[in-house]
Amino acid sequence: MIFRAVEDGDLIRQAARGGVEAFNLLVSGWEKRVYNYLLRLTGNREDALDLTQDVFLKAYQNLRKLENSERFAPWLYRIAHNEAYSMFRKRRPETGLDDLPPESAEDGIAVGGRSVFPMELSLSVTAALNRLSPEQREAVTLKIYQGFKFEEMAEILGCPVSTVKSRVYSALDLLKAELAPIGRGVS
Amino acid sequence: MSCSPFDLKEYFLRELSQADRARVEAHLKSCPGCREEMNRLRLTEAALCSLREEEIPRRIAFVSDQVFEPSPLARWWSAFWGSSARLGFAAAAMLSGAILISAFTRPTPRPVVNLSVPTQSAQVSAQTFSGADIDRRIRQAAAVEASKAVAQAESAHLAEIRELRDDLNRARYNLTVAASEYDFAARRQGLVNVAASGYAPPKSDAAGESR
Repeated sequence: MIFRAVEDGDLIRQAARGGVEAFNLLVSGWEKRVYNYLLRLTGNREDALDLTQDVFLKAYQNLRKLENSERFAPWLYRIAHNEAYSMFRKRRPETGLDDLPPESAEDGIAVGGRSVFPMELSLSVTAALNRLSPEQREAVTLKIYQGFKFEEMAEILGCPVSTVKSRVYSALDLLKAELAPIGRGVS
Repeated sequence: MSCSPFDLKEYFLRELSQADRARVEAHLKSCPGCREEMNRLRLTEAALCSLREEEIPRRIAFVSDQVFEPSPLARWWSAFWGSSARLGFAAAAMLSGAILISAFTRPTPRPVVNLSVPTQSAQVSAQTFSGADIDRRIRQAAAVEASKAVAQAESAHLAEIRELRDDLNRARYNLTVAASEYDFAARRQGLVNVAASGYAPPKSDAAGESR
């Protein structure tokens, strides 16, 4: 991760001076993670891909405003978060964020043939994630799947660290009750 | 409820410092309840991680295109406004410019009596002439300006008199016209009254025949 950060820092500086090739290298290192984050937010592959392209285009246009290259990851995910919620608002401006459509278990985003885990487990995990609120689901995605710290999550989501903690903890309680009920813990 | 010295979730999510982690781990060795809770959290994480990340369907790459690439001017402008030192310099320059413009465009107060030419000559020769000369020149200038002011007032007064005379002539003419119109109307009314009273002209021919 340290080598990766150093490399990203060099690429960011070159890209900020207009280096398209440097930015393309930066994109290749982050596109999969950003795509999967947006995929969990939107539940739709086409939307996730379109949003990912928009995110990197916006990132390229605003890269000079990034003062600290070490904050690139939260900065990039902040753009992704804003782009996704902007799309939600455009499509359903009269509804709140709580009314966003959950991912359907039948058309689950990760119910593919590539998983090494049993299909039943993937289905039950998808169903458990769908029972979370959009805010809780996004918090779990950023924490469990993307590995961000609470402080970085607060920067991405634009809310206090206490709110982030509350969302993650309540989501973990719900997921634990679904996926690891009492008496099934491994010893 | 957990009896751990720190929140187990915080430990599980790797948000604790190394020292705090060691304290929680020591507690876990001696507390079966917290160990069970930690096992459930690990099982939950393992289940969540069963969902693998997908490969992106289409790779993203940018080409050097002027449409998307910001122009050098836009870059300079962005860098300029992004720099606090330059922003301060720009603010100071704008303030200086505003002061200069205000100084050059503000109207100067006019003197009541224009003594510019004599005053200039008095200023130029003030070092060589005595105080009496300066006083004399000032009095001369004042006399000249006073005579000018008197002449202006007289000409204005004459113009006003001429205007009043013209007004008087116009009023006199209108009065004459009105009187003649009134006279004509009175005569006409008299004729109308006579005609209405049954006046008939004398029949001189018929009277002559009867005679």
